[in-house]
Amino acid sequence: MKIVCVIPAWNEAKTIVNVIQDVKKHVDEVIVVDDGSEDKTANLAHSAGATVLVHRLNRGQGAALRTGTIYALNHGADIIVHFDADGQFTAQDIPKVIAPIVQGEADIVFGSRFLGAEHNMPPFKKRVVLPLARLFNLVFLGVRVRDPQNGFRALSAKAARQLNWQQDRMAHCSEILWLTRKAKLRYQEVGVKVKYNDFGQKMSGGWKIIGDLFLGRFLK
Amino acid sequence: MLQKVLALIIIAFFLAKLLWQQHERKLSWTEFFFWLLFWLLSAVAILMLDDIDRLVAKLGFSGNGIEVLLYVGFALLLYLMFRLRLKLEKIEHQLTTLVSAMAQQKPLESSQDNKEDK
Repeated sequence: MKIVCVIPAWNEAKTIVNVIQDVKKHVDEVIVVDDGSEDKTANLAHSAGATVLVHRLNRGQGAALRTGTIYALNHGADIIVHFDADGQFTAQDIPKVIAPIVQGEADIVFGSRFLGAEHNMPPFKKRVVLPLARLFNLVFLGVRVRDPQNGFRALSAKAARQLNWQQDRMAHCSEILWLTRKAKLRYQEVGVKVKYNDFGQKMSGGWKIIGDLFLGRFLK
Repeated sequence: MLQKVLALIIIAFFLAKLLWQQHERKLSWTEFFFWLLFWLLSAVAILMLDDIDRLVAKLGFSGNGIEVLLYVGFALLLYLMFRLRLKLEKIEHQLTTLVSAMAQQKPLESSQDNKEDK
């Protein structure tokens, strides 16, 4: 079973090498999609042993993940892991995240900060932003997950082929959830550790996601 | 009467500009006919303002004709803005498709590749 990790990266020269070195221990191949970085992210990722695909223009995390996922599928991946380049996630959680797929219990596994794992999420985000995001996903997308904007997930090749998300930027998380429900894929949530830095989505990002999802419904 | 004349002068100015842009081949035929129709209808509306007032009163609106025209114009503007946003989103999506295809075609092979391409 070939396990491939796709890491979208934009200006992550400071963290990309460490992330690749940690992730490499748990997967067969690491694909870094450099999303129009202005620093040396691509070169550093290549030196660290990753397969590097380069977006000449910045297109967004959703777009970068799609590029990497399609490439992984075309190169024989059986399980595809999505992992952030900023060092927020812990590579040691990868075996836990892919386990339900390996055991045939799920087609897609979503990482969650709220299932028994440690996190140092800012209180406003934990008590206001994320509950609103969960409510939006439940009411409008019909999917109940505790951590809808978590970028740590694993997909079987079958699921990856069916999840043809079109959102280029941060709305891809919600779109993937909606497509999971639409395709009636079996999904599970697994607790993962998240280390918070200064960045992460703000409330304004949430409104942008809603706007992108709304516009996306009118595009053919 | 003076306001009607002024409005018609402004419309004439925009019509002249439209014809000039078409002459300079700066517009597609679709765009040209769309705006030509828009300005001609605007001129007709200005000339028939009294009739529009009577129609609006018959339909039970409390405002006068020019107010109804303003509201309709505003709604049309919002609709056009929405269509423009959709068009932009479509172009962005096509750009992503192109960028993604290029990235998948040739993975980075060496640091030399990256420097040369940039």
